[in-house]
Amino acid sequence: MNHETILKMGRYRELSLKDADPGVVKNLHRFMLRLRRCEEALIAEYHPADEMKCPIHFCIGQEAVPAALSVVIKPEDYLFSHHRTHGFYLAKGGPMNSLFAEMYGKATGASGGLAGSQDLSMPSVNFCSGAILSGATALAVGAALGFQRQKKKHVAVAGFGDGASDEGVFWEGLNYAALHKLPIVFVCENNRYSTYSPQFKRMASENISERVATFGVTARTVFGNDVMACTSMLREMVEGARAGRGPYFLEAFTYRMNSHVGPEDDSYVGYRPKEEFDFWQQNCPISLLEERMVEQNLLSAPEKEKILKKINSEIAASFEFAKKSPFPGNAEWSKLNYSRGSPLADQLLKDCELKEFNQNQADTIPGPY
Amino acid sequence: MPPQTFGKAINQALTQAMELSPDVMVLGQLVDYKSGVFGTTTGLVERFGPERVQDFPVSEGLMTSAAIGAALVGMRPVIVHQRIDFMMYSLDAIVNWLSLMRFKSNGHSNLPVTIRAIVGKGWGQGPQHSKSLHAWFAHLPGLKVAVPATAYDAKGLLLESIFGEDPVMIIEHRSLYSMTEDVPEAPYRVRFGHAHVRRRGKDVTLVAIGSMVPMALRAADQLASESIDVEVVDLRTLSPLDDGTVCESVSKTKRLVVADPAWRSVSVAAEIIALVSERLGDKLLANPQRICFPDSHTPMSAPLEKEYYPDEARMVQVVRKASLE
Repeated sequence: MNHETILKMGRYRELSLKDADPGVVKNLHRFMLRLRRCEEALIAEYHPADEMKCPIHFCIGQEAVPAALSVVIKPEDYLFSHHRTHGFYLAKGGPMNSLFAEMYGKATGASGGLAGSQDLSMPSVNFCSGAILSGATALAVGAALGFQRQKKKHVAVAGFGDGASDEGVFWEGLNYAALHKLPIVFVCENNRYSTYSPQFKRMASENISERVATFGVTARTVFGNDVMACTSMLREMVEGARAGRGPYFLEAFTYRMNSHVGPEDDSYVGYRPKEEFDFWQQNCPISLLEERMVEQNLLSAPEKEKILKKINSEIAASFEFAKKSPFPGNAEWSKLNYSRGSPLADQLLKDCELKEFNQNQADTIPGPY
Repeated sequence: MPPQTFGKAINQALTQAMELSPDVMVLGQLVDYKSGVFGTTTGLVERFGPERVQDFPVSEGLMTSAAIGAALVGMRPVIVHQRIDFMMYSLDAIVNWLSLMRFKSNGHSNLPVTIRAIVGKGWGQGPQHSKSLHAWFAHLPGLKVAVPATAYDAKGLLLESIFGEDPVMIIEHRSLYSMTEDVPEAPYRVRFGHAHVRRRGKDVTLVAIGSMVPMALRAADQLASESIDVEVVDLRTLSPLDDGTVCESVSKTKRLVVADPAWRSVSVAAEIIALVSERLGDKLLANPQRICFPDSHTPMSAPLEKEYYPDEARMVQVVRKASLE
């Protein structure tokens, strides 16, 4: 599978609820709807009052992968994400209140207002993100190494885009993860663009997963707007990694509907064809799922209304929380950057009397090498 | 208290750290070979196994990132670079992730990652084996930087780094590796931000960093025979920097010379002179001086290399001039 074949398939008909647990289906639907509404609400508020003074990379159109992860990973697993953070943050169970407060730079934000949308992290729910492309994929490799070393059955998941695979450290991490059979799942949301630059301008070979497979990593592709397919593949991969059969790589083909950063329509740049945009709009991951749910009597209009009402009131409460929260107080710069104490050093190390150094020793010029 | 070489003291610190905590692991190219990175990791793999003492692919960027990820989930990794120059591959990991994580998590994430980076000198190490980049890293918030000059400090600072809560860069000078000193057997600490006055004197303050320390002490001995009483301050750590000890010494001697084994411009020497000038500028009796490398990369050829590195005679000359002004 690649973007070309996907674009040829028109309206996607394969999404199947066969054998699916209705409870899981409803969770996936609710997650995607909540994420979508949350992004739409942030967009509506983003410009008018200019109270959120930070760059936000919206993920409308890319809800399926975070939704799938939200039902297959456990609280003790660790999720590392790129700069398009909101979906992954919610997938890891990060609260909406602290997400919104972070956008407003408030002390109650996930990172106390210090990081903003693109560097959001919340250690208490094992979520970490960063704005600089593939760096987080390499961190995930280290977390997986730690889990393996500690003999814990936890999994590290790295969520990133096709652009991140342009960086060398991504391939270093893949090689190392394969070498040590680390419990890690690499999830590439291939939305075809690095900012405005399409994949074909950056890579001679479009299919990232084919290259990944040559590293000795189990690699598969999926239509990334089919939340059911994403879920079953990710479930298999996360369980496989947990059982020590990792690493795994999933390339999920999807698309962002807003501009690279900010809520605008950036079609004036002329970097993506209208037919392409229209194709993906017709294949919205939420409506694809809803269509099947309605067919199977898993969703009705009043039911959706009820879900939306609940989501909207949560969003309204989060805005209120964020807006009412205080800004961080006067900064103590050194406290923000360095730890106060060294409890473990206090416990394990001794204080010793310092002897004077013998100045008559000669330093040596190192021998060969 | 048995005498140990600088290299052996590091080896002992690593051995003891791994005994003290199963979370300590050592990563680096060739750390599990008998030669053990100039003897500093020798014997570790036999004792603690390849899971904890790991040879690493030629992937320095990943090595730092992996250490960060492992630290996030509770490990205390030590990573080793045979030469600091090779560590440049990991600048993104160091600058954009390691030094930043505590800040951007609002203090909720701590990264006890220790990076050992070795600087080469002499025997034609040339431009890609000899860079002294401690000023770069001391410039960065969130990262502690140590430049030990003695075996005692090498062991104590390394243990303090491994069991501390912040990321640390320890820059080790290869020319110090065979120098010996009495080193306590027990695992002990040398705290960050505490400079040490290695020699008391009243005429001139000579602040020295790393490999310049033994040279400074020998130069001070020589000047003593001319009745010039030099106080030698070993900075030990550059971040945090013990400005108190430096300023206290200069308030007494009213003269300052800084010996920094690095390029002259935008150096730690420049920072020391700036901070002393800000606080004590009107009390100085002579212009502050710095003894550094020329603003040039290191030549391989032996005669040029000899000219490139300041020696004891040059140091004596500069300090003498400062003390007579």
